[in-house]
Parts: sequence; structure tokens; C-alpha cells
Amino acid sequence: MRPVLALARFKTAGYARAHRIVQPFIGLLAVVIVLYSTRVGVGQELSSYADSAVLLVPVFAWAARGLLDTDPDVQRLIAITAAGRPGREVGAGLLAAVAVNAGLAVLALAVPLAIGFSSMPGWPVLLGGLALHLLSLLTGTVLGALSSRPILPDSATSALVLLGGYVTMLLISLAPIPWLTVPLIGWIRAANEPSFLTAALPSLTAPTLFWCAAALLAYTRLRRTRP
Amino acid sequence: MRLANLSFRYARKAPWVLHEVGLELPSGTIAEVKGRNGAGKSTLLRLLAGTARPTRGSISGRPPVVGFAPEIFPAQQPFTVSAYLAHVTAVRGLPSSVIGTWAERLGMENLLGTPLADLSKGSAHKVGLAQALLASPGLLVLDEPFSGLDERTRAELPLAMAELAGAGGIVVLSDHQNGLAGHPGVTHLTVEDAAVHHPASGTTGHGTTAKAVIEVTVDAGEAEAVTRKLRADGYAARIRPGTAPADPGPTPTGPAADEHHAEGPR
Repeated sequence: MRPVLALARFKTAGYARAHRIVQPFIGLLAVVIVLYSTRVGVGQELSSYADSAVLLVPVFAWAARGLLDTDPDVQRLIAITAAGRPGREVGAGLLAAVAVNAGLAVLALAVPLAIGFSSMPGWPVLLGGLALHLLSLLTGTVLGALSSRPILPDSATSALVLLGGYVTMLLISLAPIPWLTVPLIGWIRAANEPSFLTAALPSLTAPTLFWCAAALLAYTRLRRTRP
Repeated sequence: MRLANLSFRYARKAPWVLHEVGLELPSGTIAEVKGRNGAGKSTLLRLLAGTARPTRGSISGRPPVVGFAPEIFPAQQPFTVSAYLAHVTAVRGLPSSVIGTWAERLGMENLLGTPLADLSKGSAHKVGLAQALLASPGLLVLDEPFSGLDERTRAELPLAMAELAGAGGIVVLSDHQNGLAGHPGVTHLTVEDAAVHHPASGTTGHGTTAKAVIEVTVDAGEAEAVTRKLRADGYAARIRPGTAPADPGPTPTGPAADEHHAEGPR
């Protein structure tokens, strides 16, 4: 585990020093301004958190893609030998991407508490918001990983796949069948239901985790021949 | 370390870069890989280092600690030399003191505070070598290690290779600069037509020179100097434990290969 953690620190440090964090941070800022420029009324907080979670998927994906693209290709080969095996380099990249996105998610959760909501919401809303942003973070991270340079060397194709993947998920999740993709629209609809945490969240989490696991499996399999 | 029926190609219907290669690299080997541009030398080195997976066949017995220095070190990274090497030591679980040792040996102490992006080609190449050598790897893979190096480092690098081989490690390098010219004990391999040839043995794939061990008795005070001299000549030499400096007759010994490398295949 030590090589993975140390390599994740190296990747995060490189990402921060290269100032690549600025791009997704601007995306986060835009989402926050759009959602919270007017105060959210009492009872609408979870709905706002759901909108935020859905809108932040491409931001998380962009951050993950940027982080995984920070190392030059040859540096990844050096990192594989330093860490001991290829799987550790892949794991360190994903861990670093999740860590960076966790920081962005914390900001997305905390900013409305300070300036966006009319009053402090209760624990069910906070837990619901946290759960939705965790699902968003996972979805964005694997989407970003699948569009990163080891998988798609051409940057234009990569950007198209990232944004196209997000739009496709949005459109497919408009259908009433929940397991066709990550149910992004389902997150927004369910947030308006009264018993979100107990009734809706488990049925939204299952397909989200299924598709994230499938995408993660595809990424790790592809990386075996794309070091 | 053994390569068995190893084949590699970059895509499903692409031509084979390497096809059914068999090769054995025993401990203590220093193997120099030759071949024309595009023959597959770098691919072979990456397969040996474990950064690429064979399409078919297998590699077994790879030492757990591997050092890999690429032909061109990726200097466009937002770190100083010392910060970069500190991250490498952290990943490898090494004390940061090893950075100073190798910085001195490779003549790059004055570069430690320099951003990687500001380094000259030769200086960046030294960083690439340093990160590979820091861990005293059991397998050292070097892609054109002598390219762009100053005289001092060109002289030091064969010593470092000989030390690793003397300690039971394996060193494999590609080299168009003839940096190991005149150094005996080097196994020569040629990559050609998707195969790895061992010219001296006339075999394809596996083979290396037979080794012999000689014992040399010297005064205790001269043991280190003689050992260094033997290593500088390309021999794998070591002082037998317990014979120096208290013992009046330290004995640097080591396997010395026929300089023509013409013995039969391993």
C-alpha cells in the first residue's frame, strides 16, 4: 500500500504544481454561481444538492482526466518500475483522482451551507447531499479515467468522449428504466421525494455503482495493454 | 530471469515486434542489446522491465526491484530535481540520503535545486539514471544510458553497472554510443527480424558466455583499490566477507568472463 500512497501523493503534487486544478475549479465555481446566486428556500436544499451532483459529473470527470494526464507517458513507465507493478500505478492514479475530486465535492457541499441556503438544513438533507455527491464523484472519476490519455491519446477525441459520455448518460437516464445507465435524472427526481434516504437512495445507488464498477473494470483491463 | 516463447506486437493484426524469443539472463549478467533503429530494442527493454506485457509467452524470475531509465527522461514535470527524486525514494521506500550519494556519483549535486524543465539534455538524462539507480535494483534496464553524458559520468556508469552485477543483479542496456567498449564480461545480444540473437554462440534467443571465478590475494590496504580497478575494467569483483581489512590477505574475487564472450550459451 505504501508505494500506492506515495505515488498518489506524487501525482497529486504534480497536478497541483502544474495548476491543472484551476480548470475544474472554475467549472465548480460556475455550478455554484448558477445554483446559489439566489438563496435556496427552506425544503428545497436536497433538490439543489441533486442538481449540483448532476452538474458536477463533467467537472469531476475533467479533474480526473487532467490529473491522469499530468504525468508524461514515459514517467508512467518509470512509476510502474518504482511502484513495483503496473496495477499499483493505475491504483495510485485513481486514488489521487478520487482525492482531488473529494476536495471539490467538499467545497460543493460546504459553500451552499455558508451562502446558498436560507437556513441550515437538517441531517437527512446533509446525508442525502453527501451521498449524491459521492455518487457523482465516482461517476465523474471513472468517466474521466476512460477519457484519459493512456486510453484515448488524441485530446480532441478524449474531450468529445468525456462530454459525449455525459450527455448520453443524461439523455438515456430520461427513460423510465433505471438500469440502462447511471440514473442522473433519477437523482434529481428522487430528491423531491419525501423519504429520499430510505426509499429512493438505495435504488439509485445500485445502478450507479454497477455502471461505475463496469467502467472501472473496462479502464483497468484497457490499461493492461496501455501502460 | 527467463524469457520463454515471448512474442509481442502492438495491435492484434500488427506485425510481430518480437516473435517466440527465448532468453535466459542469469544473475550477474551485463547484457548489451544492439540492433538497427526500430528493430525492437526498446520494446524488449520495456518487456524486461515489466512496463509492457508480452502478447504471448512469459517472463519469469524477474527480480522484485527494477530500475528503468528511458532513452529520453521526461523533464517537463513541475518539480525540482531534489523534489522529484524525493518522491521516487518515497515510492520505493528508501531513505532520502541515497539521493546525495547518487547525486555525487553522477556529478549532479549542483543540479538538485534546479527545476526539471530547466535542465539540459545531459543533465535531465542524469536524473533519469539516478532515479533508476537509487534503489540498487536487482534488474537495471537502461535505454541508451550513455547518450549526452559528460566524461565523468560516462566513466562512472560502467562502475555502477559492474557493482550491481557483482552483487548478483542483472543489467540490460541498449547502447549506440559504445559506452561499454573494451569492458569485458558483457553479453552482446542483437535484435533483428523479431528475434534476439546471441552472435557469439550462434543461437537465437538464449545464450551467454560461460563464467569463471579467479581468486586474487592482495594486501589488506589495497583490497578496495584493486576491487575498484577490476570493476572499472568491467569485471564483477567483490571482497570476500571476513577477509578485509583485519585479515592480512583480503581476496577480491568474482566471476570473470572471457572477453570474447565466445563460450557456449547459458
